Amino acid sequence: MDTKELYEKIAEGVVEMEEDTVVEYCQKALDEGLDAADIIREGLIKGMDEVSRLYETGEYFLPEVLTASYALNEGVNLLKPHLKKEVATTLVKVVIGVVEGDTHDIGKNLVKIMCESAGFEVYDMGRDVPIDDFIDKAVEVDADFICLSTLMTTTMQGMKDVVEHLKERGLRDRFKVMIGGGPVSQKFCDEIGADGYSADAASCVRKMKEMMAEKAWNSRNQKR
Amino acid sequence: MNSLERIRATIKKEEHDRPICICPGGMMNYITTELLEKGGFNFRDAHVDAKTMADLSEYAWKEGCFENMGVPFCMTVELEGMGSKIDLGDNKREPRVVEYIYKKIEETTDVKRIDLSEGRVFAVLKAISILKERHSDVPVVGNLTGPVSIATSLIDSTPFYVALRKKGDICHEFLRKITDELIKFGSAMADSGADVIMIADPSATGEILGPKYFKEFAVKYLNDLVEGIKKNHPDVIVIVHICGQMTPVLAEANEINSDAFSFDAIVGLKDIRKNMQDKIIMGNVSTYAIEGQDEEKVKQMTKLCITQGMDIISPACGLGMGSPLKNVQAVLTGTKEYGGESCLK
Repeated sequence: MDTKELYEKIAEGVVEMEEDTVVEYCQKALDEGLDAADIIREGLIKGMDEVSRLYETGEYFLPEVLTASYALNEGVNLLKPHLKKEVATTLVKVVIGVVEGDTHDIGKNLVKIMCESAGFEVYDMGRDVPIDDFIDKAVEVDADFICLSTLMTTTMQGMKDVVEHLKERGLRDRFKVMIGGGPVSQKFCDEIGADGYSADAASCVRKMKEMMAEKAWNSRNQKR
Repeated sequence: MNSLERIRATIKKEEHDRPICICPGGMMNYITTELLEKGGFNFRDAHVDAKTMADLSEYAWKEGCFENMGVPFCMTVELEGMGSKIDLGDNKREPRVVEYIYKKIEETTDVKRIDLSEGRVFAVLKAISILKERHSDVPVVGNLTGPVSIATSLIDSTPFYVALRKKGDICHEFLRKITDELIKFGSAMADSGADVIMIADPSATGEILGPKYFKEFAVKYLNDLVEGIKKNHPDVIVIVHICGQMTPVLAEANEINSDAFSFDAIVGLKDIRKNMQDKIIMGNVSTYAIEGQDEEKVKQMTKLCITQGMDIISPACGLGMGSPLKNVQAVLTGTKEYGGESCLK
């Protein structure tokens, strides 16, 4: 089996949500001497890209996305020990969680999966997360993004608190704050001074990629 | 025409004076912080004590919030009966489950059976009978949480949704056991005098499940639940509410055999009618508008629901507890103001 075909089999396994297939062909790829990072990028993540496309077009729903991400993770677990250390230099880092007082985490989990499949490094804080814990974690891991989710009107205030606490601690410019969830809107995002709102997981990741490109461009300009 | 006659006429598609305006309770919360403070209630007590529960429900009715009474005020009573640990919240926060009982889907074989004679389950049944004794002419609603939402509160939703595909048999068995317990509780509510049983199953939304799983796991057990309650109580009115964007699964939702169906604000009545011509539809004044806009705006949104042909007027989901009382009341005053000429003649 040639390299291209192997990658396709792995991607197919993710799309078909078959973890056994994914693991089998990831192992074959390793046996063929292929690079673990290449297998992840050309196989697993290509598969997950297709999954997120199927999700956006309404052919896949949450159970399919979750099951596919389980299959992807099985592949990643197999490949991880074979990853060369130096790849992690330009990784986008994301701290994500559901704000304090709310335990609805389906939306958050979906954004997490989409972030991971985009190759971001995700620190999942879980549900019902105290405001300052987000900030402490973001500082600790030197994150690029803080992603906040809530389904309830009563806990939307917590998103504003994150922005305010960042200002108080002199950290506002260090992180981009992304918000999402049922009652949240672009208008609310503008009101509280967050950096980005998105209505669904796929567009959230797209927006984050755009922001990273902009950030890279800005910092290059500053150096000039 | 009193409000019990009004809702019965609505369900039977008989002539009535105007649409009825209700908010059932349970997940479809109608209690706000302002109402609790005005009446001097402690919300925690009202979740636990039968008389306080009944008094609070009656108080909301007297304050002109809606034309029904209904208990409980949360979606955690059955879960507590099945062994979940609950944080009862306070006057600003509704009760919620603190942690999941099960980690893996394989552990769900030992669903704890609900004891109708103890705890908050008993308090709810008692509160229903108190309300019915006091008000024979007002619809009293007993609220249940639907099977899928119970399931995803007993186990984390992620392993549950993954198991739907890989371990469907275990999920079916889990949901069947949950449904049996809900039939038992719902029937006891009807025995206690509930005129309406409201089943809210927010996690069963087609937006999450997609049409295939919605049909296989949500519609199936909702129907078993409706049939199980109706078997011994054919006259009780059963309403089903499902949250979220339901447009992709409306054809499947039409197979749910409840007397009426309630939708979120995001679902348009035009789309609903395309798939569910004959169903009694309840809804769907935006709860965000009730919480964040003013009385006049709420009234206008209520009017829009009426002119579009909504059969029963209600908020689209549970009210945020911070909703101003005058906005809550505006749904009913709006219904009375604009609903006069819209019903079957």
